[in-house]
Parts: sequence; structure tokens; C-alpha cells
Amino acid sequence: MSSRGPLQSAPAIEKPATAEELARRLHAAAAAKLSVTPAGGGRARGMGDPLERCDLVLETTRLDRVIEHQQSDMVVSVEAGIALEALQSHLGRAGQFLPLDPFNSPGHTIGGLLASGWTGPLRLRYGSPRDFLIGIRVALPDGKLASAGGRVVKNVSGYDLMKLHYGALGSLGVIVAASFKVFPRPLHDVTVSDAGGWDAADRAASMPLSPSALELFSDGRVLARYFGSRDAVDRAVSELGWKKTDSAVWDEHARRGHEKWARIAVPRTLLRDVVSSLPDGSEWWASPGAGIAHWAIATDAQSVTAMRAKVEAAGGTLVMLAAPDDFMREVGSWGTAPATIDIMRRIKTAFDPDGTLNPGRFVV
Amino acid sequence: MPLAPHVAQELRRVVGRDAMIDAPNDLRIFERDGSIEGAVPDAVVLASSTEEVAGVMQVAAKHRIPVVPRGAGTGLSGGAVTIRGGIALQVTRMRHILEIDPVAQTALVEPGVVNQELSLAAAQHGLFYAPDPSSQKACTIGGNAAENSGGPHCLYYGVTTNHVLGMEVVLADGSVRWVSGDAPDRVGLDLCGVIVGSEGTLCAITKIKVRLLRIPPSITTLLAAFPTIETASQAVSAVIGHGIVPSAMEMMDRVTVGAVEAHYHAGYPTDAGAVLLVEVDGTAESTRELTAAISRILAENQGYAMREAKTAAERDLLWAGRKGAIGALGRIKPNYYLHDGVVPRSRLPQVLSAVGEIGEHYKLPVANVFHAGDGNLHPNILFDMRDKGVLHQVESAGEEMLRAVVELGGALSGEHGIGLEKSAFMPWIFTEDDLDAMHRVKDVFDADGILNPGKIFPDPSRKPLHLAGRTGLAIEAKWW
Repeated sequence: MSSRGPLQSAPAIEKPATAEELARRLHAAAAAKLSVTPAGGGRARGMGDPLERCDLVLETTRLDRVIEHQQSDMVVSVEAGIALEALQSHLGRAGQFLPLDPFNSPGHTIGGLLASGWTGPLRLRYGSPRDFLIGIRVALPDGKLASAGGRVVKNVSGYDLMKLHYGALGSLGVIVAASFKVFPRPLHDVTVSDAGGWDAADRAASMPLSPSALELFSDGRVLARYFGSRDAVDRAVSELGWKKTDSAVWDEHARRGHEKWARIAVPRTLLRDVVSSLPDGSEWWASPGAGIAHWAIATDAQSVTAMRAKVEAAGGTLVMLAAPDDFMREVGSWGTAPATIDIMRRIKTAFDPDGTLNPGRFVV
Repeated sequence: MPLAPHVAQELRRVVGRDAMIDAPNDLRIFERDGSIEGAVPDAVVLASSTEEVAGVMQVAAKHRIPVVPRGAGTGLSGGAVTIRGGIALQVTRMRHILEIDPVAQTALVEPGVVNQELSLAAAQHGLFYAPDPSSQKACTIGGNAAENSGGPHCLYYGVTTNHVLGMEVVLADGSVRWVSGDAPDRVGLDLCGVIVGSEGTLCAITKIKVRLLRIPPSITTLLAAFPTIETASQAVSAVIGHGIVPSAMEMMDRVTVGAVEAHYHAGYPTDAGAVLLVEVDGTAESTRELTAAISRILAENQGYAMREAKTAAERDLLWAGRKGAIGALGRIKPNYYLHDGVVPRSRLPQVLSAVGEIGEHYKLPVANVFHAGDGNLHPNILFDMRDKGVLHQVESAGEEMLRAVVELGGALSGEHGIGLEKSAFMPWIFTEDDLDAMHRVKDVFDADGILNPGKIFPDPSRKPLHLAGRTGLAIEAKWW
């Protein structure tokens, strides 16, 4: 964090042990006109434009408890600083899991994943946390702790502020706790692979049993993961005729992360065209069913800008996930501002009137 | 209070003379939605286009007149009731399915499109729209988006917000904007996600882009009887505990089953304490295997009289009983008050026994029909409006039931919305700071408070809290 941006001096780092303490520290910093950067596991720290200022880093890593796991209700409430792996191992003891397998793992915290909006291959089957986040608690710059949602799997009581904080990169408040709907571990879990590129991926996607994850790589390799009942999975796999592969391949895949990389998100029917217009020889991997691709950038800033123009013309976004500061300044993290940026700015002002949180990093 | 003549004239200029209703007798038709409390609007406009909605909003903003967007009026929490007067903005003339893209599996619809009509149209492409509220033959997609509606199949498929990709909305100042769209992971704040379920308090919705799903090749519906609600609830938990999430798990109690059977002759066992409907879908192999596993689990948990719908007609009949349950209850009493609360699934037996006790205390019959898999209960308090003083009793009973829901760690609404009906209870589950955060969003969108005023947020001046002395309990019990 401190190495990014034109900082005058190294920021102070604090690790509050409770949500209340974090809210107090945030409020005190805001009152003293200091800028604050929330941080979790640091796995997505490269995201966003270089900070204009960073006086205080508020780390959530000591907020690492499982607050409540009602096994039979399939609901878990956690503090934001818990590592994804720790939560998965807790849920695993009950035969459950959170269907979240983000890239650049391990070491993501739950709060960091919610703030950054990073996801992985299982998104194809389960959606993103946007779909299974059922409650949230956020510390605001005025020192208040505001909750929304709850601990039930279906809830329309009040505004869905989970959506507002999800993917907001900590620009409205610091996420201190969250509740999720969790899922039973699949009855049967089989991974198969092929080398047939886009056509093979399209074929897998059109079969009666949809894969739970389907990943395509720039070298033409395709990975498909099937969850479901034994007979259904066995039939799908045999019809597809691909080679069975150890599911450890997914852990390896989730470790992918690059010094300079970007996420491309377009309507899924346009992904193939968009990805095929990447510079020759580019390394990338894609989730065709979700409309998302990741690009390990080995070319110059101009090539990224040119690529972004194509992506935006297709109605999508190219977001930089990490790059050296000067590269990031040249291309910009986010691309063209959304058409509703005026409303977003007003929301930012309503929650963070002094611009305490992550100044300059997010789009608002 | 009628609109000032010059305001009425401005509205007529926007929508046309025929699309404006302000004769007192005609307005009474728009007094209510599907809930108990009503209020007559000062005017109704029947908008036919986004431009007309924008024009109406501009007039309303100029004169600071409340605007309440309204679809089919099937809502159950008073969301479409013009409690502060003003304009009922009726969108049912905007009922075109503008596009179905079978390749992208999306549809673009106007807000007045009826839920079931979209699924029927999509079926030509082998697709369906997943959220299926029980009112789906009448309710509109616009209303569904405003309320974030659920339905029996949201156990597996999720609620409306999981299926809305983007929307065209008209803001309080009359400007027309798009929020979100076809691509995932958009840059910036997720305004679309906040607007879905905001009950018409942030903007009016004029177009909706939704995700469609492939119709599964195989669907199996199982019915099982249980001696008691407790045993049926236990069976529901056992199925999910085995790692199976069916597409729907619906329960009906003895009162409901009796009424439904008398009306539909669906073959529900009337001696049962509870009847459970379980549906699984997927490939033929998958439904066969899951059906066998589920049957075994239900039998192990005292399930009996099990039936499997083997044809589409049998399946429709089993569902007709469930989806038409509320109407069938008219055999018992002419009026009903349908409540909506959610508890953690394991608390269902406790909350239902509390509901039963409350009904007995107030000497009001209660019929339960609900989404057991989600822990979403729908107690129906049955009454006869002609009985003197009964409405107050009904409201008190409903309030106590909600109180029981909250005390068991639940939420005020799973799918009907807060609206008018439950706004006074919001402090039971949210602190002042929680509500303040929500209000900041409201103020950004609608600083003058003209959009569906009097909804969601508590208005202490309007409704006395019968149980006011007990508020705050739930807040203390909360894990945070």
C-alpha cells in the first residue's frame, strides 16, 4: 500500500481488535482530516488508481472470528478480516462451503473479497457474493456502525445496502462483518479437461447438464468442473468425452495472479470476439459462461488502452487489477466513468463527505 | 384532495385526456393493493411510455406532489397505496416484451409485463424467467423488481434481484437513466442492486433487462404428508442437511390443506398435520436420483402418503393447490390477512407454534402456507370484515406474529416488502444508525421525498405501536 502513490511519509498502520474500535479509529481519523485506507489480506491491493493520500491503514485482520454458523440453517456470519481459507475449513467440517474461489489466492479476507468484488470459476454455477451475501455491517467515517440485511436467506426488509458496498472498494465505509448463505458440498465433484479451445467450451456449455465451472486458457486448454448427482455427472462427463483431471488443478488455477493484469467483463455472447482481439501471443484465461476474462499483460500501456476501447465498445469494462504505479497512471484503473457517475458521487458524499476513504482510488 | 386544476391540466398534457383519471368514483378502484389499508389517490395516470413517465415525474417534481408507481396492485404490504395522496403512476399499459434474445438468454421488458406472460413467451425458446411469485398470473415484472419478489422456486434459483441485469429508470427529477446492463462486474456502485427492492421509493422503473434460464429437461414434483408441522419441518432440514437443495420446498398446514382439497381436489391428504411439496429439476438422471434420495429422507422423517407427479398435468394440479391456496381459504372466511416473515429454517417449528398460540389467543383461525426451504412463513389470518372490531384484532395478531419472527432471529419480510404495513416495525430489526444509512440513499435519489412517501421508513406520527414497550429487544439479541 505504502509503495503506491506520491505519499509524503509512510502511513500509520492500525489493526483494531473489534468493530467498535475500528469505527472509533475511522471516525477519529476522519475528524482529523486524515485519509484512511481499509485493508484485509492485501491480495487485491493493486486494484484502483494510485492513492492521492494515505495517512492511516486500517487493517481488519484481527477481526477474524466466525461469529455464528448455524449449520442446519446453512447461514454463516463472520467478521470481515477472516481469511477465506479459514472460513472454508470451518464450513467444511459441516459439509458446507462458500462457493467463492477467487484468483490470486490464498490469503484473501472476506471483507477484501466483498470490497473488491473478485470472484473465480465457480461463479458460473453459484453467481458472485452479490447473490449470496445476505447481511453486512459497515463502519462509516462518522463513527456509526450500520447494518443491512440479516441472517435469513431471503429478506426484503429495508434497502439492499449489501449491493451498495459490494465492489465499492471500501469507498463508502469499512466492511466489518458479513453474513452469507452457504451451500452443501456437492454430492459428486468431477473435473475434466480438453485442448479444444472455444469450440470445446461452447460444446460443454450447451450440454443438458451445465458445468459448475468452465475455464478456457490462451493455449486452448479447457477445464470443466461438474457438480451434482453421480449418475448425472457421470453421464455428462462420458458424453463430453474429455480427460478426467485431479480437482487440485482448481487450487493451482486460483493461485493465478500477475504483477500486471486486467479483468475484462463483457456480455457473454461477445466474449469470444473481444478476447480474440487481444494482442497476439497474449496470456489470458476466460470464464466464457460468465463473460469474464483475465489478461496477464505483457505489452505496453497503449495496447491496454486500445484493448479497453474495444471492450467498452462491446458494452463492457476493462479494469486493471494490478500494475506498477506509472503504468497504472497511464492507462487508469477503471476506464470510462459510468453514465450514472453523478449519482454515485452523491452517494459517496452522503457516506464519506470529507473523502476520508481511499481518496483517488475508486471511481468515486 | 383533488389536484389543483392547472396541475391536472399539465398531467393531461403529458399522458393524454383518456389516460388520466381524477373522477372521485373512478379513483376508488385504485385505493388498495393486496393488503389491508387503503387510501384514494388524487389522480391516476396511465402511462404508455418512458417519456410519459418522465413527463409525469417532472410535473410531480415541479409541484412536489407524491408519486406512487403501480403495477397490477397485487402487492401485499401496501407498497402501491397512495397513503399521502398524490399521483398513482399506473404502468400496466407499458406491457410489451421488447426483446427476447435466445442466445444471450435475456429479455428486455416494459414494467407492466405480467410475470407469467414473460415465461410463456420465453418458453418458445426453451427458456423461462425464474422468479415465480404465487400471483404470477397477474403481477408485473416492474412490481416484482420494485419489491424484489420471490416465489416457491427461489429456494434454488434466487429472488428477483438475482435475475435483473439492468433497468431503465426515471428519477425524481424526471430524468431517464440506465443502471447496470448486460455485462457483469460493472465499474462503480451497483445502483441497480440498490433500486431492486426499494419499493418505488427511489425511482420509477420503465424497462427491465432480465436473465432467462434454460427450461430443465426433467422436473419431478413430490408430495408427502406428515403428522405435524414439526415433523415436516424436520424433514425439510434433513433433505437440505443431505446436501440436496431442491428447486422448491413448500409446506401447507392442516387448515390450508382442507380448504385447498375442497376446492381443487388435488388429492392432498386431509388427515395430515402438514403437507410438503418438493420439486427437483435437472437432467433425467439427476431428478431420478434426487427423487429417490428425497423420498427416502422424507419417509425416514415420518412422511407418508407420498405421491410423485408423473405428468405435467399432475404436476400442475399439485401446484394449483399451492399457488391457489390463498383463494381457497375464502371457503373458511371471506377475508384474509396474509403475513410474511422469515426465520432461520431451524426455527420454523418454534415460530409456527407461536403463530398458532397467537391465533388461539385472538380467536382467529390461521392458515399457514409457506416456503419451508427458505424459512419464509406466510401465516394467513382469516376473518370476516363485517365482524365489529375484528380488524384491530387481526392487526394486533399479525403484529405479535411478526414479533415472534423477530425474536427468533428473523426478518420482517421475505418477499412482500415493508411498504406501509411493516414500516412501524423496522426499529425492531434495525438501529437508528442502520436506518440512517438507508435514509442517506433515499435522500440522494429523492431529496424532496415525493417518491412513494410513507413507505419502508417508520413514521411514528401515523401508526401507534401496539407493542411499543417491547421494542428494542430484537436489537439487543442481534449478533452484532
